[in-house]
Amino acid sequence: MVKSTTKDAQDLFHSLRSTYVATPTNLKIIDLYVCFAVFTALIQVAYMALVGSFPFNSFLSGVLSCIGTAVLAVCLRIQVNKENKEFKDLAPERAFADFVLCNLVLHLVIINFLG
Amino acid sequence: MMNLSRSVALISLFLLPLLSFSFSVDNPTDRRVLVLLDDLSLKSSHSIFFNTLKSRGFDLDFKLADDSKLALQRYGQYLYDGLIIFAPSTERLGGSLDSKSIADFVDSGRDLILSADTSASDLIRSIATECGVDFDEDSSAMVIDHTSFSVSDVDGDHTLIAADDLVKSDVILGKAKIEAPVLFRGVAHSLNPTNNLVFKVLSASPSAYSANPSSKLSSPPQLTGSAISLVSVLQARNNARVVISGSLQLFSDRLIRSGVQKAGSHNQYEKSGNEQFVTELSKWVFHERGHLKAGSLVHHRVGETDEPAIYRIKDDLEFSVEIYEWSGKSWEPYVANDVQVQFYMMSPYVLKTLSADKKGLFHTSFKVPDVYGVFQFKVEYEMLGYTTLSLSKQIPVRPYRHNEYERFIPTAYPYYGACFTTMAGFFVFSFVYLYHK
Repeated sequence: MVKSTTKDAQDLFHSLRSTYVATPTNLKIIDLYVCFAVFTALIQVAYMALVGSFPFNSFLSGVLSCIGTAVLAVCLRIQVNKENKEFKDLAPERAFADFVLCNLVLHLVIINFLG
Repeated sequence: MMNLSRSVALISLFLLPLLSFSFSVDNPTDRRVLVLLDDLSLKSSHSIFFNTLKSRGFDLDFKLADDSKLALQRYGQYLYDGLIIFAPSTERLGGSLDSKSIADFVDSGRDLILSADTSASDLIRSIATECGVDFDEDSSAMVIDHTSFSVSDVDGDHTLIAADDLVKSDVILGKAKIEAPVLFRGVAHSLNPTNNLVFKVLSASPSAYSANPSSKLSSPPQLTGSAISLVSVLQARNNARVVISGSLQLFSDRLIRSGVQKAGSHNQYEKSGNEQFVTELSKWVFHERGHLKAGSLVHHRVGETDEPAIYRIKDDLEFSVEIYEWSGKSWEPYVANDVQVQFYMMSPYVLKTLSADKKGLFHTSFKVPDVYGVFQFKVEYEMLGYTTLSLSKQIPVRPYRHNEYERFIPTAYPYYGACFTTMAGFFVFSFVYLYHK
């Protein structure tokens, strides 16, 4: 039993890895961007746990900018992925333009809330 | 008619300068002293004491205590600055004087030397009680001390006491130490325990007691030991000074000139300490010593000279006050290291000791506390023997204005960095995403 679960885990991991290698490059770039944003957010949460939440608005602003831009990147990935039947008719340029505009609004709000 | 009005005008012109010959704020030493005696022979039997006063410039006016023309005031103005009552057996004072008018005299800031003796009348006792001093109720009692009496005691009943338990104060008794004991023969008094302005200058030794020397003791004496005060002093809240002595002979020429040897001690002194004691005490009582005057409180921010109308929390400020001491002839700078200033709002938030420079300027600097409200700079200086200084100045303190906070908070620098990094990352990402191959 144990041996089969480990072998299953290993097979799962290998299949995931091989499938992922096959994804288009632009999606991989988006994935990398999302990881970077989430990582920055995690650093800020760890810092707040150490120092305390004194300028709470600055903390929220920093975390929100990272999470917000990650969410927008995920939306872009969904809309641009050719395997999604739902967004078949949506031009990828339109999706990217939406992404850029939303990010501009997000960063405007962030800088205002940062204090 | 014309002649009369002209002569009246001339006379009043002459009288006008006389009215200014009394003590004033700029010259606090008393000038004119009324001396009430119950027997004019006291003028000669206490001549040394009166001559020392006259040689220091006092204007002594000797009157009998029951003189019917006695008056302390005329038309609302006091005629004298000081009063010496050497009339222990007088029942009633003459003229317009009574214990109430003497109490009013002290209330107006004027000084008093009161002396009882072996026969203190009720009037003297009531004046003394007003000042917080209670004489022994037994009118025939005297202070007796079987271990601290003077060897030259003629009667042999140990009522002539050689006392050396003096108060430790350079202001009251002068810088020079009184070496010889002070001779005393009279009644005992005790201080009212609820009165915190009166204190003992010469107290009896622990072996003294107050009883009738010519009769046997039937019950233990009420007043004993160091609770007995021989000479006490009161400095009132308006800085009037009162000396109350249980012995008129303390001031007399006989005791001043006599030598003293305390029983049980080998030291024999040619001259008792009485002259030095009464001279120094009279200097203190008549405001030749220990009279302080303060200038106004000055405060400003560090680096400025004008006094601001309002301070902000956490401002740095400098505070100073000038204090002068009257030397008998002029105002000298006061030097001490225990004057303190409080920054006070219901309780002192800041209490600092002022540092003195030799010119009488006391200064310090401190930071306004992190509390806003209406504060007072308070200097409350009460030292034994000195006049009390009670100065205060009010100043409001405001919190930060909205634009006086720090612009960038140092603890939040990582958050600022994260936001800008994200923006840069977004910028780089969009380029890479659009132009990758």
